[in-house]
Parts: sequence; structure tokens; C-alpha cells
Amino acid sequence: MSHRYELTKGIFKENPTFIIMLGMCPTLGVTTQVFNAFGMGASVLFVLLGSNIFISALRKIIPDSIRIPAYIVVIASFVTIVEMVLHAFVPAVFNALGVYLPLIVVNCIILGRAEAFANKNTVLDSALDAIGMGIGFTLALSLIAAIREIFGAGTITLFNLSETQRLIITIPGLSESPVRVLTLAAGALLVMGYLKAFFTWNSERKAAKGERA
Amino acid sequence: MIKQCLKVAFILFAICAVSVILLAVINQITAPYIEINTQRTTMETLSAVSGGYSQGEQREGNGGDISYVIPLSDESGNIVGYILELTTTGYGGDIVIAASYYTDGSVLSAKVMSNSETPGLGKKAEESWYMAMFEGLGGDQALPESKNDLADPSAVSGATVTFNGVSSAIRSGSDYVKSLGGR
Repeated sequence: MSHRYELTKGIFKENPTFIIMLGMCPTLGVTTQVFNAFGMGASVLFVLLGSNIFISALRKIIPDSIRIPAYIVVIASFVTIVEMVLHAFVPAVFNALGVYLPLIVVNCIILGRAEAFANKNTVLDSALDAIGMGIGFTLALSLIAAIREIFGAGTITLFNLSETQRLIITIPGLSESPVRVLTLAAGALLVMGYLKAFFTWNSERKAAKGERA
Repeated sequence: MIKQCLKVAFILFAICAVSVILLAVINQITAPYIEINTQRTTMETLSAVSGGYSQGEQREGNGGDISYVIPLSDESGNIVGYILELTTTGYGGDIVIAASYYTDGSVLSAKVMSNSETPGLGKKAEESWYMAMFEGLGGDQALPESKNDLADPSAVSGATVTFNGVSSAIRSGSDYVKSLGGR
């Protein structure tokens, strides 16, 4: 497999959210605003990159019998680093992500990539895999968040550090009478379901096209 | 066999030790910034809710949901109101609110400080319009007890638990201020 494939597969072909269906908890939880999706995506990308590199580098040292606790220690350390750094330097993002930030530890994408990829592949491939998966996750979260925020609140929050430092696009018409169910938990599941259906339809259509050609 | 176990245990120990050292170093670097941030937020919140009155010396609260009380006085030194730090329960755990009241128990201003509410739903309590729903009430006019007492209940829909927590804290603060009787 080429390096380029390792980098790009996470974005569409093996998108962690829509194809592998991992990391559903933050996907459904923080996608109420686009800005939260960015923050979550960036945090996961960093943790994934750090843990994939470390686990890949240590893959010959860590014995099979203790690999899960070893991975969890590595992952939890990176999550704690992200938490402390965000708390110190970007408290607005720290506050916005709330409980979902420490929950990255149990995000299946990270343990999943460690178990399925990083412990079998080289450091470079694992790093590329992490970047691809992280970007794919961020894009998926942003897409869900954009749909939920546009229709559920009539706004697009691109940037929101405080009440004075923010960039929120308000969509006339929708912001007065939004489809509020989309901002609720049930709305997250609905949007996720429709998007999953769309991506499955899309990949099946592509596969059918490939057969005919 | 024992040798094998020891080896495995040592590797896990080594990984944990490296993590601990790394985290300790980063904590050393970030802890002062976090401390400064927290203090600055508290200062900013207190001066934001003080309504321009000067803050007096901090007193102890009621030992329950009210952590501390800061009397507010006007230019001639008369106490015109109080800032209270209130702790209440929301959807995601404790919510800390700084609220200021006039001596008759009516809300001057309020702001949510630390909380773990759901982003996009209960987190809206941090916005200034949220607390504006309470301002001026609590004296002659009653504070809202449930969201149905609001002019626009849909503003807090999806976060009723947060609203109930916030409004009960604001009401309890108002009653406490009334019990102080301007002292």
C-alpha cells in the first residue's frame, strides 16, 4: 500500500464516522455547533497522531498480553495533555467541549486505529493513517454539525471564543423558526442515519459502476 | 514463567512511568496559566455582575448552595446589593453562578461560571440573553419557577433541567438576600 493511500483512505474510502462507524459518542454529542466540531476534530487528530506514532514505535516492545492497558495509558496521557493545554491556552474551546474532551480516551477511533493499524505498521504509515483518519473525522463532524446547526438553529458558528470574539453567520428565515429537534440528541441520530444511508448508497452505486465498466 | 511476568510488568511500569513524567512536566507548564485564567474569569465575572457598584469585603455564605457573599455599596458607602456565588445542579453536574441582587431581592445581573452542560443546549446559559430573562425580577415581580413562566419558553427548550437548576439557584439567592435585610 502506498503512503498516499494511507493518508487519503481515512477521508472518504474508510471514513471513521460514516464507513467504519467508530467514535459515535462525540459525533452525536458535540455536533451542535460547527465550531465545537472543529475543536473536537482537532483534539482527536492530535491524540490519534500522538498515540499512533507511539504505539507504532513501541509495537515490538509491548507484549501482546498487556497491549490494551499499554495503549490506554498512552492514549490517556495524550488526552490529558490536550486537556491541560486547551485549559491553559484556549479556555473557550475547553469549556465548549466540556465532558467530551476527557471522553476522547474511550473514543473507539483511537483505540481502533491502534489495534487495527498502528501495531502492525511502520511509524510513518501510522502517522499518515492518523492524519487521514483525523481529517476524515473532523470533516464528518463538521458536516453533521453544519446540517444540525443550519437547520436546527439557523446559524453557522465558525468561531466563538467569547461574546466579543466570535464569528456567527445567521441565516435569515431559518433562525426565526428553526427545526429545533435537530439540535437535540434525537436530531443527531436522524442526521447521522440519513448521512450514513447516503454514503452507503453512494459507495454501492460506485461499486456497481465499477462492475459494469 | 516468573521471569516472563516480571518482564511484562516492567514494560507496563516503564510506559506508565514515562507517561507520568511527561504529564508532570506539562502540568508544571500549564498549571500557572490555568490558575491565572480561573482568577481572571472570576474577577471579570464579579465586575461584570457588580453593575458598577464597588465591591466590599467577601463574607461567608450560608454553608449550603451559597459559597460567599460580597456586599455592593454606592459612592456614599451604603449597601445597595450583594453578589452571591451560587452552586446548583444542572444536567451535567454542578453549575456555579455569580448573581448580584439589590437589597430587595431583585436580580441586578447574573452570569454562569463553571458548568458541564451540553454544548448547544444547556451551555446557552452562558450567553448574556439567558440571564437577562431573570434581571429585574425577584423583588416586586416574582422570578420564573418553571420555563412556562417565561415569555418565550422555547428559548430554553431542550435544556429544561439546566433552566430549572439555574432558576432555583437564582430564587434561592433572592430569598437569601431578602433575609439579609440590607446588612
